[in-house]
Amino acid sequence: MVTQKEKRIGEVIATATATFTTQCYQLYELPPLGSLVKTRNEKLELFAVVANATTTGLEPGRKAIARGKDEESEEAIYKSNPQLEKLLKSEFETLVIGHRIDGKINHFLPPVPARIHSFVYVCPVEEVKEFSQSPGFINILLNTNPTLPQNELIITCLHQMSFAHEDSHQFLVTAGKHLARLLGDYNQLKSILERIEH
Amino acid sequence: MSLNLTDIASQVAGMAAKFKANGQKTHQQLLKAMVICGERSNDLAWLQRKTVISKTSWLIAQPEERLNCHYPSPRPPDEFSIIATDGSQIDVDRHLSLRCYIINIGNVILKYGSNPDAIISSLPKLYSEEGDLVIVPPDGRAREQLVEGTLLGIKRSVEECKQLASIAAKLPTGNSVLALLDGTLILWNLVSKEYPEFVIEELLNRGFIHYLDEIKKLNKDSRVAVASYISFPRSTDVINTLRVIQCPHEIPDCDRYCSEITTGKRGCDTITGIRDRDLFSRLLANGERSALFKSQSSIVEKWYGDHRIYFFYLKVDDEVARIEIPKWVVEDKHLLSLTHSLILDQCHRGHGYPVALSEAHQQAVVTGTDRANFQRLIEMALVEENLQLTISAKNRSKKTKWI
Repeated sequence: MVTQKEKRIGEVIATATATFTTQCYQLYELPPLGSLVKTRNEKLELFAVVANATTTGLEPGRKAIARGKDEESEEAIYKSNPQLEKLLKSEFETLVIGHRIDGKINHFLPPVPARIHSFVYVCPVEEVKEFSQSPGFINILLNTNPTLPQNELIITCLHQMSFAHEDSHQFLVTAGKHLARLLGDYNQLKSILERIEH
Repeated sequence: MSLNLTDIASQVAGMAAKFKANGQKTHQQLLKAMVICGERSNDLAWLQRKTVISKTSWLIAQPEERLNCHYPSPRPPDEFSIIATDGSQIDVDRHLSLRCYIINIGNVILKYGSNPDAIISSLPKLYSEEGDLVIVPPDGRAREQLVEGTLLGIKRSVEECKQLASIAAKLPTGNSVLALLDGTLILWNLVSKEYPEFVIEELLNRGFIHYLDEIKKLNKDSRVAVASYISFPRSTDVINTLRVIQCPHEIPDCDRYCSEITTGKRGCDTITGIRDRDLFSRLLANGERSALFKSQSSIVEKWYGDHRIYFFYLKVDDEVARIEIPKWVVEDKHLLSLTHSLILDQCHRGHGYPVALSEAHQQAVVTGTDRANFQRLIEMALVEENLQLTISAKNRSKKTKWI
């Protein structure tokens, strides 16, 4: 199912069952941390949450150096060094938190991982809303081992998803209650809930 | 077995001490060279005549301007493009029964101004046809020459120039463009290895020179200069010219007057041992170019024609680079200024070395892993065709580290 609102932002360049890494087509055009993206493997749609992002040199071992000492603005650095845009790459890691098969969304890992060079899209608002209608995806998010601290990722993910819902407060309350049922650690739960409210 | 660094360390210490001891001598030679430059600077006609008639056993440069001339860099235009190519190769493996080689050319187009842009790519090509592997004499009488080793290096230079001409031709007209190559524009190895004339004809006349000509022709609709950049040059052409000035004989003739004198004891030896870069490091301020010099090398005189090579030195911070340009760039003041200003600008952007050449090199470089992967690729392709790859016993022995 391709809708007009899907925005293609890059391609899968590393993949595993529970994670994949995407290289952006445009430097710095990264989706927000915690936002929902998707890719396809034939009839399967894989949903994943942005868990970390990096911008580094295209070639391993080539590091960026400071260039702006005599420049008036950061933009001027890129203007004076047009090669930079071609030598740097922006990538983001994602955690797979569900999939759609035969039209049905499942909040568990897909039967097969994403393929290398699969296109990656930012999920449109309607799809984020549909995916997060029930909070089952939180279970999988709690079982992952992200690069960033897990609490931070849960908070940003719920925060991002809340924008897709008309009643974002209600979405967060439902998610919070679900978290309370899953988490045995009171302090962890308190740390998350306190910050989701804001 | 790794290198025994303990043994080497004491030898290195000795070398460093000797280098320090030579420092004073070099300093004296440099002062002497600067005095000669100053004394004879105004007498350009006399100097040109003396360099032309001299018969030296070393290469001298003919000055086109006073020796101690130095020019600050003109302002670069607001809008311009730099194009550059650089190449590397995987040579024919003589331990393999299958003969082939790869030339990989890195290409860079950098556009500066109101709409900056960059195109960076590489063009790898496998050569395995009979026509690629040998250069055949047209009359079939002389021995055909295998394209490998030094000759492959020369062919690579030709391919770099070919690709540069191809990129330049595709740029929009009306541009100010500097086309840059790494190293020298003079294909020295063609004469130093004494290749037969049909090889020089093929690689130089129908190759390198032909592509320089293609670039020159673009100047009908655009402003395209071509230059090569030699970092940390080892050349001594200008120092040798100073030796000619010093020579007491009206027509310097090394064989006639000095063949019996031990090297180091000749009158002109008071400034041997220093290089042109040492001299111009003192004569030039940052960003300045030196006087123009005409290369007197035999290959240039015989083969380069309208593309006869000239050079100047350019001071970029702590380094003095040698810039080689063809005659038609020297004769067009605008192109000469463009070359000076844009190379300096590239060096500033590239922290001392032209950005475009640096990126072209990065695109071209072939690593040890690439070479190994290439050989594996050949093996796989032959297996698919049910063919067996024959490898020499020596090569097998090197790969297998038996005890």
